[in-house]
Amino acid sequence: MAPVLEVKDIHKSFGGIVAVDGVSFSVDEGEIVGIIGPNGSGKSTLFNCVLGQLQPTSGEIRVDGKVTTGMRPCDLNALGVSRTFQLLQVFPELTVKDNLIAAGQEHRGSMLSRLFGPPDAGLGAAADRMIEFFRLSHVAGERAGRLSYGQQKLLDAAMAFMGGPRLVLLDEPAGGVNLTMLADLRERLRAINREMRATFVVIEHNMDFVMSLCTRVLVLAEGRIIAEGDPASIRNNPKVVEAYLGP
Amino acid sequence: MERARLVPLAIAAAVVLALALGPQFLRPSSLYLVSLWAVTAIAAMGLNLTLGYAGQISMAQGAFVGIGAYATAILMQQGVPFPAAFVAAGAICFGVGWLLGYPALRVQHHYLAFVTLAFTTLVYLLLRNEQWLTNGVYGISGIQRPVLFGVSFAKSADYYYFCLGMLAIFLGAMWWMIRSPWGRAFMVLRENPVRAMSLGVDTRRYTLLAFAIGSSIGGFAGGLFAPLVQFLEPGSFSLGYSLSLLLMVIVGGSGYLLGPLVGAMVAVLLPEFLRFTQGYYLLLYAAAVMILMTFCPQGLIGMAERIAAALRRRRTTATTGTH
Repeated sequence: MAPVLEVKDIHKSFGGIVAVDGVSFSVDEGEIVGIIGPNGSGKSTLFNCVLGQLQPTSGEIRVDGKVTTGMRPCDLNALGVSRTFQLLQVFPELTVKDNLIAAGQEHRGSMLSRLFGPPDAGLGAAADRMIEFFRLSHVAGERAGRLSYGQQKLLDAAMAFMGGPRLVLLDEPAGGVNLTMLADLRERLRAINREMRATFVVIEHNMDFVMSLCTRVLVLAEGRIIAEGDPASIRNNPKVVEAYLGP
Repeated sequence: MERARLVPLAIAAAVVLALALGPQFLRPSSLYLVSLWAVTAIAAMGLNLTLGYAGQISMAQGAFVGIGAYATAILMQQGVPFPAAFVAAGAICFGVGWLLGYPALRVQHHYLAFVTLAFTTLVYLLLRNEQWLTNGVYGISGIQRPVLFGVSFAKSADYYYFCLGMLAIFLGAMWWMIRSPWGRAFMVLRENPVRAMSLGVDTRRYTLLAFAIGSSIGGFAGGLFAPLVQFLEPGSFSLGYSLSLLLMVIVGGSGYLLGPLVGAMVAVLLPEFLRFTQGYYLLLYAAAVMILMTFCPQGLIGMAERIAAALRRRRTTATTGTH
């Protein structure tokens, strides 16, 4: 079986600046892969190339064996690729529940059935379950813009799972989340990974979070992968320590 | 909770009853004005979809009303029956609106406003200069009121009911669309297009649809406008009309279903009530809009919602206070 995600020799430069310099890796079904690296190492650029937000200068990306290089984010999403955002990206004027229905509705039926069918696109129950799963029941009817930062972060994550994705790319899910909520978020993500057979790729600065969540870690520095392995081996890799702290 | 739902229902019932009995006690000139309000409200409703729900600014709605009105009038003069001409007006505007949506894929906000503004000027010039088609500045006169299934709507009172019936149909259709997943897709396009795209919302398709549907509703309004006024001239569809429709949407409450109805009421009916102020009407209107926008940018419906919420809060604190 083909890996869920294959990245082959991706290069991306902006003018003369090379942000991603020949990165290749693949992710198998059910894995939780972390990508770490110092600021400016090319993590976000790599992510945006995989997600269709940026066009790589060269290289190829495959999802479930299908070439997706250069696809629009909405077409990628139709293939089951979903994401969360580093900075909050919810729909502030819509209620929490409508945010979740909006997050899944384009996966249901056709354009016509979405105009003439039920207003919730048949996702009402699924949205309620997701609300409960992320413990947002008490704010389900609130407009998303009125939630606390942490609650919006949970909603942002929940939205990524509404379409029943194959592959979810999480961009700094732990950023700005307090310690109690962090443990909670980790448990939620693990449960979804297990129950939905969703595959995750995570960019994260919080080392403890990455090391405790991920099954495998890639380390990026200056646009290249300098180390790869399970969390324990990465922690003790001298190259990684050097990349972060300098020689 | 009960009363919160009863009050708007009672208001709606009173308005519908008053409109139904209109011809019993209104002068013909007033019937004409209410009909004009209904037609204008439909046009503003279309713009409310493009601007209020989908967040794409357009200064071209007046041009689409013009295209729809001229298309209907010209086709009817060629012997095409009203229903076919009316549908054609909506269809033409759907197509042209779809094309006008393409710039919106590249530019946003005030740049998009300028693109649509240029389009309005272009349409006005075409209506004025292409005499072979539109009869130029002399305009088109003698447009007949429709006859449907043997029933004539020639009398003011009959066409009044026809316009109000159409308003009800368009309002119902809009209500349906807004609460459907399409409506949600339009709103997420307004709220956060990047996020919407990552969730599979084809933002390109929905942007074009928002323009096309909003414009076609403008075209339908034009199709009703032509038999109402029975005389068309290019000057009615210059930039001023588009700006006025934009103002109606914003004053009424953009992104609210009933906003355009209220906005059109302010723009069409209020000047009549304020006749006694003579030349000061526009001055009063302008000042009122400035005050409204400063304190309640959500428009009149937004203001009503705010007041209702405040009253509810007060009542709940009052009831808990007695315990």
